[in-house]
Amino acid sequence: MNKVAIVGMDGVFPHCKDMQEFEEKLFSNQSLIRNWDLVASYDKKIRTKVAGYATPEETGFQKFSNGLPDEYPMDLEDISGQIPNVNLATSDLGSAWAMKASLGAIKGAGWTKEEVESEETGVVIGTGSGGQEGTRKVWNLFFEHGKKTRALGSSNVSRSMIYRDAANVSCLIKNKGVCEAIGSACATGLGSIGYAYRLIAFGLQDRVIAGGTEGTALETLIGFDAMQVLSTKFSPEESSRPYDKDRNGFVCSFGCGIVALENYDQAKARGANILGVIDGYFNNSDGDGDMFAPSFDGQQRLWTGLKKQTYINPDVVKAHGTSTTATGDVVELFSIAAQLGKDGYHVSAPKSQFGHMLGAAGAVEVIVSLLMLKKQMVSPCLNSDNLKTELESFQTKDDWQGPKEPLAAYRNLLPQLALAKPINQIVCLNYGFGGTNSAMAISKD
Amino acid sequence: MTREEILKGLIEILENTPQVDSSKLKNVTEKTDFITDLEVPSTELINVIAKAESKFDVEFDDDDIDDLGSSVSGTIDLIEAAFKNQ
Repeated sequence: MNKVAIVGMDGVFPHCKDMQEFEEKLFSNQSLIRNWDLVASYDKKIRTKVAGYATPEETGFQKFSNGLPDEYPMDLEDISGQIPNVNLATSDLGSAWAMKASLGAIKGAGWTKEEVESEETGVVIGTGSGGQEGTRKVWNLFFEHGKKTRALGSSNVSRSMIYRDAANVSCLIKNKGVCEAIGSACATGLGSIGYAYRLIAFGLQDRVIAGGTEGTALETLIGFDAMQVLSTKFSPEESSRPYDKDRNGFVCSFGCGIVALENYDQAKARGANILGVIDGYFNNSDGDGDMFAPSFDGQQRLWTGLKKQTYINPDVVKAHGTSTTATGDVVELFSIAAQLGKDGYHVSAPKSQFGHMLGAAGAVEVIVSLLMLKKQMVSPCLNSDNLKTELESFQTKDDWQGPKEPLAAYRNLLPQLALAKPINQIVCLNYGFGGTNSAMAISKD
Repeated sequence: MTREEILKGLIEILENTPQVDSSKLKNVTEKTDFITDLEVPSTELINVIAKAESKFDVEFDDDDIDDLGSSVSGTIDLIEAAFKNQ
């Protein structure tokens, strides 16, 4: 197997204009979550009030209508002029972000035009949602307003197909290798990078642009709000609170994370700036037939699988930590503790700062992990103010195989403020609906 | 509506189509071809036709659009014919 390096990264992040601002806010313990006026305009029809989002001024992409149809602006303008109009004509907002971030990651990687356009370069980018914003508007014109199909415009397919992000990036950078999307709900971002890692590790590609993206769409938030799983009642900065006993839901967020992966030996030989090395990747399924609930058994098998790939001794575990009320946060922490014990490492929960970016989450959180390696600082678990001192009800059952102490016993693992310490290895964890689990170990070069 | 007025209306549609290079729109005549001269992407050409239906408040037959080709003069013919059929 080939060793794989990460040599470039870029993205679109809530309440940030670029990656530098993202880095500064992360490690100065700031929350990137805000009230969302668009949500507020629907008053009590939507329970949550907060979200993680970037404005058009922050992202540089403005929506407009080029006349088809006038009432639904679905066309995009790149204020910076970086992405050509011909590419924007086939992309939705998430794809446009993926294109911008891919160019940033390629620039950071220092790949030549010839290298990018070769058969040895792949693109693997996924998203969590199905392009709901665009399709809602198009179907409304057809079904409710009785328009002919040609009056809907010709871009709906390219703007809503499952692999639209990979396809748009590939058409922009003109690579000749693999172009595919991985879809695994909230594990999509990490799953895409994991698949890209395997392409290089198994010798099928030399370099891959990989990641996840989730364009801002009220339609996406509405789906989760209907499930009653979004945070309510807290102020924006206090609303995402993984592990805290008063957590009451996750914060729906939008963004994009793209990394440039490269065969390590080739990257080293050309003197590339190596941001991190992927030690191993493993993914599996719970196999318990439950669409939503986490599985201690599934996560234990996940760790076992990862440990078979490489030596695992992390200084930080970058957790999925969503802040949902059900068992997600606690089962994850108990799973980590069952593998690594009660000390000697820390747990980072970046969703406490920017919410849950769904299909982009895993990829953005790999970027957070690379920034942790760079700065030698653990990003904080904001708002984990009070950890439950009583056992969870499932811990009292006879068939519970995990730790028998309450969450409060693990206080020392969860820094409430960014923490400086030597960091050599980070394990990244993400899970998704359907019982899918992904784990990746990343180290300093 | 004269053919010149229809041509002017088509140019206005193209001016609001970001995928079309606006510098190519200075010398558009009836002899211009949307694809070969103006490099309008073929998927965008159908949008131009649909926008023309809306702008001139006419409706084209599907068969006529299939046979249209990509010339500006042919499109003006189609719009003129649609006016006559109203």
